[in-house]
Parts: sequence; C-alpha cells; structure tokens
Amino acid sequence: MKKIALMFVALLAAGSAIVAQIPSTGFGPGQAPALGPLVNGTDFSGTWRPNQLVVDSQTAAGDLADFGGIPFNDAARLYALAWPASRQTVKQHQCMGYVTPYFWYAPGNYRIWEERDSFTQRLTAWRFFGQIAQGDRTVYMDGRPHPPAYAPHTFAGFSTGEYQGNVLTVTTTHLKRGWIKANGVPQSDAATVREHYIRHGDVITVLAVIDDPVYLSEPLSKASMLVRQAKDPDAWLYACDDSEQIQGRKNDVVPNHLFGQNPYVREYADRRKVPLVAALGGADTMYPELANKVGDAATSEAVVKTRMTPSGPALASRAPDPTPNDGQIHTLHVAGNVYMLTGDGANIAVQVGPQGAFVVDAGAGKLSEKIIEAIGKLSAKPIQFMVNTSFHPDHTGGNSKLQAAGADPSLSGSFFSLQFADAGKGATIIGHLNTQVRMQDHKLLAPPSDTFLEDRRRKYHNGEPVEMFPQQAVTDGDTIVHFRRSDVIVAGDIFTTTQYPFIDVKNGGSLQGEIQSLNFILDRTVYLHDEDGGTMIIPGHGRVTDEWEVAEYRDMLVIIRDRVQSMIRSGATLQQVLAARPTADYDPRYGATSGAWTTDMFVEAVYTSLKNPPKIETAR
Amino acid sequence: MKGTLLVIALVISLFAGTLYAHHSFTATYDTSKTVMIEGKVTQFLLRNPHSFLHIAVIGKDGKEETWNVEWAAAGQLGGSGVTRDSLKVGDPVVINGNPARDPADQRLRMVSVKRTSDGFNWGLRPGQTFD
Repeated sequence: MKKIALMFVALLAAGSAIVAQIPSTGFGPGQAPALGPLVNGTDFSGTWRPNQLVVDSQTAAGDLADFGGIPFNDAARLYALAWPASRQTVKQHQCMGYVTPYFWYAPGNYRIWEERDSFTQRLTAWRFFGQIAQGDRTVYMDGRPHPPAYAPHTFAGFSTGEYQGNVLTVTTTHLKRGWIKANGVPQSDAATVREHYIRHGDVITVLAVIDDPVYLSEPLSKASMLVRQAKDPDAWLYACDDSEQIQGRKNDVVPNHLFGQNPYVREYADRRKVPLVAALGGADTMYPELANKVGDAATSEAVVKTRMTPSGPALASRAPDPTPNDGQIHTLHVAGNVYMLTGDGANIAVQVGPQGAFVVDAGAGKLSEKIIEAIGKLSAKPIQFMVNTSFHPDHTGGNSKLQAAGADPSLSGSFFSLQFADAGKGATIIGHLNTQVRMQDHKLLAPPSDTFLEDRRRKYHNGEPVEMFPQQAVTDGDTIVHFRRSDVIVAGDIFTTTQYPFIDVKNGGSLQGEIQSLNFILDRTVYLHDEDGGTMIIPGHGRVTDEWEVAEYRDMLVIIRDRVQSMIRSGATLQQVLAARPTADYDPRYGATSGAWTTDMFVEAVYTSLKNPPKIETAR
Repeated sequence: MKGTLLVIALVISLFAGTLYAHHSFTATYDTSKTVMIEGKVTQFLLRNPHSFLHIAVIGKDGKEETWNVEWAAAGQLGGSGVTRDSLKVGDPVVINGNPARDPADQRLRMVSVKRTSDGFNWGLRPGQTFD
C-alpha cells in the first residue's frame, strides 16, 4: 500500500509542471469527475463579437469619476476616487486579466464551444474565450463542486452551469479582485457572479448579477450582447508583456490620490451636466428618489462632501474567512512537490519527495497529531527539516510535536552524533537567529537550532533548490521560503489574505520593512499569463494566491502609508490619524473592530513605524 | 545634446471620443492637449498591448530626464511599416503626444514621431493612429 502511495506521489511530482499551470478543477487528487447529468439546452457555439451599441453606450473602462448607477458602498467609492490611471503603469497592473462580467465588455472577438465526453457524448463543459486579455473560461456542466475557499482564485474564476429551460445559468466564484469599471470601481475577490445566457437567433444576451459582500450594498445587474460572426475572424491572441513604463521610479511608489484630493472628481459630471452626487454612485443613484438629494445645490454639495472622504463608523471585513475552523486539517496541492495544510493557526507548507518531508511552519499546536497524520499521507518518510517563518506561536506552537515525529538522517552517524546523543532524532528546525532568540525569550518550546541572520540559507532537498531568505518585516526575524523547482513561495505573515499585516513593532516589525519584503517576493515571481498562475504563494493565513494578490497587498500598504505620512507631515497625532480612518476603503476586506489584531492596532503600527523609521534600506 | 523640451498646450478637443482600448486613454492622458519633446531614443520596447519609446530629453534646468511615450501594439505598428529596427538607441527624434494627467509620470501618448536625421516618421499620414 505504501508503495502505491509513493508511486502516486511520484506521479504527482512528475506531472507537477502541468498541474501547476491549469486552473483548479474542483476535484482533489485521485478524484475522477462524475459522469454528470444529461443536459440539453441552447447551443451557444460559434464566434461572436460584442454588440456595438452596447460598447458605445457602456464602455468597459468608463470615464474618471463616472460611477452613477453602481450600488457600491462608501468604501468602494473611496477606493475608486483614490485610483489614478497612472496606477496602470505599475508592473503588476500592466497585464491584469478581466473578471466576469467585465470579461464580456472587451472590444475583441469571442469564441464559445462545448466540450463533450468522447464516450458518452454528455456535455461536460462550456468554454468561453475572449481575445482581449485572452480570457479563457471553463463552465463545468458535470455537477462537480466548487473548490474549497482556501484554493487559488483566478481572473476567470471557477464556474459551474445549469440549464433553466433554454437559459444557461452560470455561477462563478474564486474570482480575483478585478474591475466593475476600469475607472477604479473594484469588484472584490469575495464576489459571486451569476450569469444568464439567452440566445435569440444570432444574438446572445448575457445578464450578469454580481453579489459582492465587500464592495456592493446591493446586487449589481449588468447586461451585454454578443452578435454572431458569420466567419471566424482569425484574430484571437493578445499577448501582453509588462515593461519599464516609468523609468527611475522606486518600487515602493504606487500612484494614488489622497482622500478628498482627486483633481478630476468633477470632470465627468461637469462635462455631462450630471449632478455630482449622481456621478459619484451608490445604491441611491439607481432610484428616482435621488432627485430629492440633488434638488437643492447646498444639500447636494453637503451629500457630496460626505462621499469624498471617510465617514461613519469603522467596518470589519465582510469577506468570508477561507480557513476551515472545523477541527480538521485540510490539504491542498499547490504546485510541484508542495502542499498546503490549513486548519491549525498559520498555514503550513509541506514539500515531499524521495527524502524526508520539508515543512514550513508548524501551526498553533492544537491539532499537531492530525498535522503529522496529514503529512504522513503525503510522505512515507519522517519530517526531516522544519522552518519557522516567524516566532509567533501560531507558526511555532506545533514545533515540538512535529520535530519529535521527524528525524534528520543527515545527522545520524555524522560527527554530530559523537557530540550530541540525540543528533538526528527529530527533525532539524531552521530559522532566523532572531526567531530563535525571541522564542527563547518568550519561553516557547523547540526554537530553531539551525540559524541564519543576514544571508540566505539554502538546501537542495527532494529534488529542488530551497532558499530561505531573512527578512525584517512583521518582526525582525521573518523568513521567506522559496521552493524553486515547484516555484512556490511561503510568505509567512508578511502576506496574508485575511487581515492587515500583523506588524509587531515591539519585536522589530515595521511598515517599511513589510513593504520591502512584499517587493522582495514580487522580484522573484513570474506569472503564467496576464497576472494569473506561475509562481504560487502560500500566505501566513488565508488562501493560496499568486503574485497578483501580493501586489494588491503591497499597493494597499503603500497607499495607506502615503495617507498616514501626509497627516504626520501636517502634525497629526495618532488619535487624529485614527479618526481620519486612513484604511476606510480596505476595511470591508481586511478590517477588524475586535479580536487580536484590529484595524486601529494596525494603524497605530503604521503611525509608529513612520514616526520612528527602521534603519534599513526600504526601496530600490 | 541640444535637445529642448517644448511644451505646447494645444487644445485640440475638450470632448475626445471614447476609445475602446483595454484601458481608457482619456483617463490616463489629457487628450485635449499636445506636448512636443525633442531628444534621443534610449530604449524602444516593441510590445503588446502597447509599445513604449523612452526618450532622453534635456529639461529646462539643463538636466537630462527620461520621457516615456506609449505607442501602438506591435501588430498595429507592423501594419504601418514600423519594425523593431525602425528606431535605434541614440536616434534624434521629435515627438508630439498627449501628456499624462499625472505630470510626475513624464509620459506621453504618441501622436507623431519624426527622426530628424533622415525624416523617418509615423503619425503624420492618415490612419497612423492607435487605440
């Protein structure tokens, strides 16, 4: 049985290059797709182009501050008003993909085709391909479930479909943060989009309904139309390469407008003779009662003023926590030889192969037996190496049990065994010297014994180079681990998808170091196609990502830094900065009003970092 | 280099039509104005979705500064006879373009380019535009 398990692992490793490059199918390793239901409905196959009338009346990009009719919340409006088009010059934004339904508003060609099981001829999937940004969507029709919440998101998302009469209804989750309109109006990565495809002759109408708990206060409906093309246009590709668009700009610069200082906020409204309160969007701009707010100029201006800067109470995140807190350990294949285990504190990375497992972080220590069992299912050999990305207990609480379950055969029989009776009896724990020191100071069990301080630590293990880079980000003893052949980076708490970074100022953390470390990660990542795939990232907490989410996180921190820095220059106190809510546009995604790491604690860490900057180079 | 930076704010149209690019040029550039720069090519990136020319220009303060000029996609340029060999590092050029809304970018959307050494040009004939 063990041989079969090992063969399976080897096969997975051999196929890793392919597995890493395709979207998640919703099935786990070894799970075959179901036969699927017999489905019959309208045939959408063919080549299509958008209806020009729709393109003319509702361009994908939109004008600056043209938000009317979008039922977004105050946070989304602030996000959009802080966005300058110059943001598109930042490397990671140059080849951003399209989420749906924005996908259907591009001015290029579309192809739709069906995939059928060759044995049963059952419809297994619809495929949608859009020329602009080369969007490539699969709509599964075989009844498979959506992937778990901790699986990666893509610009295409994960779609399943069903016929309701002759209407094809498609439900899409696992989308990245994209655009509702590319003038800064965001669609969050927590959005669910339901599309209804209706065909009348040579016209397809697509009615999309976006539910976005982060940025929409009501569902947003958008319609688009496709017209059948009699002849294949033979123009399908749109290769995108990012480049040095702005030379000489430091990598910690992300263009943004400070709150209330967007110089173009009135441009669209003035040009189109639209009341500004209507152009600034929000659910009330969908309804006729808005007229009551614009009837009087003074009243209208007062409403506008409240909409251009943060107002109201601080918000907590409305994005679902992707971490399953069900008392179980869940395993996800990330890429190549690397898996993520989640369910006990911080995420754990496990690399397997012909040698013992290489494990990054050990969890909180509450479910260590289940973690050891889960690792045992991936590797028949004991854990050989462990790395801690920080000293925090949610990363190191399981150290002692996981170490005891392991063994380091590279030490047994070496000169170490002459000096230490227990040499090799247990996994070797590697970590930043400051992690060792902090753990000893806090009397935490099993600190790293194999340390490094300034230079990278490296090993060639399980058939691939493994690099460990010392960082000073959320603490002064952080480590980033890069499995180079699998091309997976384990970021620790330098990057999470669930909260603002836990910048532990008392233990050497700083905002500047955090931004520098995120840029360090981005200097090592390569996307597969248009900011999707390629190098995969395991965050300290939350779901697996690629570079796009890391760049978004970096952007957010730079923008918040700029706001707080501006207030400090004006002489603001911490209380004044907190009252100004410099994180207001990101709070529905990352904020917390209670718990161990609140938004206020994060803002205080930002303020402290900027008032007492670290003595390290923080940008190149 | 005797290049000079001439900023000629020509109001062409306050109401430029909507463009169907993958991003909005009207959001990125002030298409109601045209700026002329004169300098030397430092890099030509023939790329999709848009190409870029980097130009070394001597500013009013006498210091060299880099201007970034956004141009058409490689395929569109190929269709109008521009290849990767059309412009080389060091070529002296005069460029007219729409300035970026953010002056800090020192960025233009290409309207026309002319190489002063031999008259090679793009954007001066009908149809030589891009979106």
